[in-house]
Amino acid sequence: MSLADVIRLPSRAPRLGLLKRLRRAEFPLIPTLILGLITFVAIFANLLAPHNPEVGSLVARFKPPFWMAKGSTEYLLGTDQLGRDVLSRLIFGARISMVVGFTAVIFAGVLGTALGIISGYLGGWVDQVIMRVTDTWLALPALTFAIFLAAIVGPSMWNIVIILGLTYWTRYARVIRGEVLSLKEREFVRLAIVAGCSKGTIMRRHLLPNVINTAVVLGSLMLGVVIIAEASLSFLGVGVPPPEPAWGLMLADGKQGLMVGYWWLTVFPGCCIMLMVLSANLIGDWLRVKLDPQLRQL
Amino acid sequence: MGPVDVDSTSIPLGNLGVSRRDLLALAALGVAGVPKIARAAAPAGQLTWGIHVSLTPTWFDPAETLGLITPYMVLYALHDAMVKPMPGKLQAPCLAESWTATADGTSYNFVLRKDVKFHNGDPVTAEDVKFSFERYKGAAHELMKKQVASIETPDPQHVTFKLNKPWPDFLTFYSSASGAGWIVPKKYVEKVGDEAFKNAPIGAGPYKFVSFKPGVELVLEAFDGYWRKPPAVKRLVMKMIPDETTRLAALKQGEIDIAYSIRGELAEELQKTKGLSLKPVVLQGPNWLYFPEQWDPKSPWSKLQVRQAVNLAIDREGMSKALFLGYCKVTNNAVVPYTFEYYWQPPAAEYNPAKAKKLLAEAGYPNGFDAGLMYCDSSYANMAEVSVDNLAAIGITLKLQPVERAGFFAGYSSKKYAKGVIQGASAAFGNAATRMASFIVKGGAFSYGSYPDIDELYPQQADENDHKKRAELLDKMQQLVSEKAMYAPIWQLAFLNGVGPRVGESSFGQIPGFAYTAPFEDITIKA
Amino acid sequence: MKTYILRRAGYCALSLFLLSLTIFFFVRVTGDPAALLVEPGASPGDIAAIHHQFGLDRPLVVQYWLFMVSLLHGDLGQSFYYQVPVLQLYLSRLPNSLILAAVAMGLSLLIGIPSGILASVRVGRFWDSAGKVFALLGLSLPSFLVGLVLILIFSVYLGWLPSSGAGTPLHLIMPAFALGWYFAASHMRLARSSMLEVLGSEYIKLARLKGLPQSLVIAKHAFKNALIPVLTLAGINLVIMVNVAVVVETVFAWPGIGRLLYEGIAFRDFPVVQGVVLMGGAMIVIVNLLVDILYAVIDPRIRLEK
Repeated sequence: MSLADVIRLPSRAPRLGLLKRLRRAEFPLIPTLILGLITFVAIFANLLAPHNPEVGSLVARFKPPFWMAKGSTEYLLGTDQLGRDVLSRLIFGARISMVVGFTAVIFAGVLGTALGIISGYLGGWVDQVIMRVTDTWLALPALTFAIFLAAIVGPSMWNIVIILGLTYWTRYARVIRGEVLSLKEREFVRLAIVAGCSKGTIMRRHLLPNVINTAVVLGSLMLGVVIIAEASLSFLGVGVPPPEPAWGLMLADGKQGLMVGYWWLTVFPGCCIMLMVLSANLIGDWLRVKLDPQLRQL
Repeated sequence: MGPVDVDSTSIPLGNLGVSRRDLLALAALGVAGVPKIARAAAPAGQLTWGIHVSLTPTWFDPAETLGLITPYMVLYALHDAMVKPMPGKLQAPCLAESWTATADGTSYNFVLRKDVKFHNGDPVTAEDVKFSFERYKGAAHELMKKQVASIETPDPQHVTFKLNKPWPDFLTFYSSASGAGWIVPKKYVEKVGDEAFKNAPIGAGPYKFVSFKPGVELVLEAFDGYWRKPPAVKRLVMKMIPDETTRLAALKQGEIDIAYSIRGELAEELQKTKGLSLKPVVLQGPNWLYFPEQWDPKSPWSKLQVRQAVNLAIDREGMSKALFLGYCKVTNNAVVPYTFEYYWQPPAAEYNPAKAKKLLAEAGYPNGFDAGLMYCDSSYANMAEVSVDNLAAIGITLKLQPVERAGFFAGYSSKKYAKGVIQGASAAFGNAATRMASFIVKGGAFSYGSYPDIDELYPQQADENDHKKRAELLDKMQQLVSEKAMYAPIWQLAFLNGVGPRVGESSFGQIPGFAYTAPFEDITIKA
Repeated sequence: MKTYILRRAGYCALSLFLLSLTIFFFVRVTGDPAALLVEPGASPGDIAAIHHQFGLDRPLVVQYWLFMVSLLHGDLGQSFYYQVPVLQLYLSRLPNSLILAAVAMGLSLLIGIPSGILASVRVGRFWDSAGKVFALLGLSLPSFLVGLVLILIFSVYLGWLPSSGAGTPLHLIMPAFALGWYFAASHMRLARSSMLEVLGSEYIKLARLKGLPQSLVIAKHAFKNALIPVLTLAGINLVIMVNVAVVVETVFAWPGIGRLLYEGIAFRDFPVVQGVVLMGGAMIVIVNLLVDILYAVIDPRIRLEK
């Protein structure tokens, strides 16, 4: 044994593995993986789905999942009333949920944040008008309003995105405005005014970056709400129209099958919705805590 | 079904099992005319219906009858008509005991049945008949008012309709294609006004109005004084249950005794349930695919082979089995139901996708083509989805565009769907001529175009008084429609209903082509 | 105080006015109701007659004026389809929705509050984690999904409960549960955090120092204070519940105002749609107003703000 062995000291503390570090930070690993998986499936749906989700074969109607008596491995999770493969529909449905969910949240976010900043910073009658409109909008029961709009413009995926965006922007506006109200008393804003920055510049370069955090947190919370809303609208028949395989629509179609014992038409889409919303909520919770403890009461 | 003659016997004797000898004996006893069925015990008990639509008070007033069959669900209970479709006869005398027409067809003389009364005890008189016709503003009212020059009421038992010119379809329209022949009490309506009449209707039908809760239920009570026979069931409750699953659940649990419209896998479930029976009724409602682009020379649809190919590509039997348990009646006559007067029987429909592909290739589309949108009534989207699949299999791609019912019909008739394919249907009353008018000839509500050789036959048959000659003309028109493949007929829809264990006679299927339970007075509860 | 109330009431009225305007114009964009009331292919004369009968042929501004005038008289118009006053239709269905909402609210409080308090008292331990899971599930499952699963278990497999309709208390159980589930989670969360806050407050620390046993501390002092925000939220949630019940009403064929709205849209029954949305909006606005006033009464700082 040489001195070198005895005196060998680690040059620094052992570096924790990535996983351990994430867990230290209470990072919601599983929910992120789930959302990541759903995103992956959504992007590569064409490659992953074993069958065409919109075309079925009438002779293959109501086949149960493969592990049951009359099931087959050709249709892993069974088929629906028109003989369409449930698994393929779930896969393509992920794309719809993802697109609608994220786009609607971003749309509502952009609209709501912009209006919130303008309203909060400019104050005066602009603020009053925007706030009154917001109040009015908030007074409309969200789901009712969405159904109502859907009846006007007709069901289609992009219409739903617009509708959901229009329904939920007020949630952002209120909160962002509140934040801007307190931000505008701060030093850096005062300095910017003194330095001669225009109102637009102040709003864009100083206020916006500071409210982005809040907007993102709100966004993650809204994602779950929006997905449930889309599923509800599709369930009621005023959301994404057939034959597109929206999960909510699959639930609506599957409802009749419930009574006859075709449980797989309801349970699988239901689980998908639940997993996606659950993951979004968990991530949102974590973001809320991490990004700004003050927002905990959101 | 052959032509229906004007005559004065009521229910054909054969149906009653009464022989000529019995009739003579009865006549000898001074009981002439209609052999009345022995009076049963007083009406008793209650039956409950689960209805699939929401009733509106508009349907309680015959003056507002639409050209659909849905209002008749209630009309047959609350009201009665001079002449109407009954078991065994398309034009059965009801409030009218008999009628005659002059040889030139310009005048129809009706003799009212004696001792028929309204629910409030007032007798049904010629004045009421005239009043009901004049206040009528529902389907086809303009046509009827145009053709009828005057109505004479020489005495309370006789009514004469004088026409401007001979109109062979007068009786068809008076008895079924319009509600003008359904009689309401003049004195009562004038006293309370139209609005109040709808809220508390009085008619001459087998059941009296008791109460109506909008969107919830309608309650009716038997009218003992009904001329044909007193109803066996005392109380009828019609509950509105628009959701199919809920309706079936209610039937299973005995909350309702009769359920309208149970489709698909729920119908299978119904069949398997002990105590419940499935009553399919084939409607006078053909379903079809229509090609609005066929008059556009630049469109693939203008080629006959393309349209013929579609006719060969639809798996009608398969669809029927899958969606309606096989009860739909596959037809090759696009717009005229087989129960109608002047129906022409076409050659049988064929399903041959290989031949369809060949035809497409001959027409210059060996790989098919993108046909755009397929418009349909959203309640029948499942049928349309299968059709889209079938067409995709031969290379014609379509994207489904379901539209909610009212919007669909509005768009269809306002010619909004000029590009693409339309899945349509019609269960309205009438005869082959009325169907030609709406769907085939120029100017029809749902005609997106027309062919001159068919068009020129239409006025000829309209003026043709001779029945045989008219039938020939109408046959020729329908044949041309079929040869030109103007439509791709699918089937006549089967309406699948459920009946619970308490019901004796449900009256389903008594009146051919009619979807609902009628006549109501024949309905019984199992002892 | 008076100025505060007046100001708030003024904003309230303004909101309602904007609401009515929005609804009015939006509704007319949904399509022509005449198409439904006459048969397909009706002549333009028939359609014009219907327009005239319902006053739809007059200029929009006039229609709106008439609408507002009758509104101020408490008349929401007449349903095109059912031909009865909308208010009558609404009020006949409202009790059903209220019963459902009330029972659902009761369930959500009954489940939410105790579990929230339990979670707060046992922070970090089993009940807290269980509570977190419960809250997450509640907020992540759409109400109609819960309803469908309940039907699957209790109606189809076990056959204990009727799957739809209204009538007996048995009919009420599943819809109320499906509706209340989400709110139970929401209340649980709030109860927990509110309780935690109160438990950490000076007041409670003093009580503990005085030597009172833990359970007494919770029961007597903390509980009441923690409850206030929860009940406030519950009040607002009640109104929201009545309005979002439409999906649950669909699943269970419950005859409430959610279904009324849905039918109204399907039948293009303008007055019904206007009426239901307006009443819904009015309820929310009024409840918010009452809550604001209540807060002002409790907390003087609020009513003195600029």
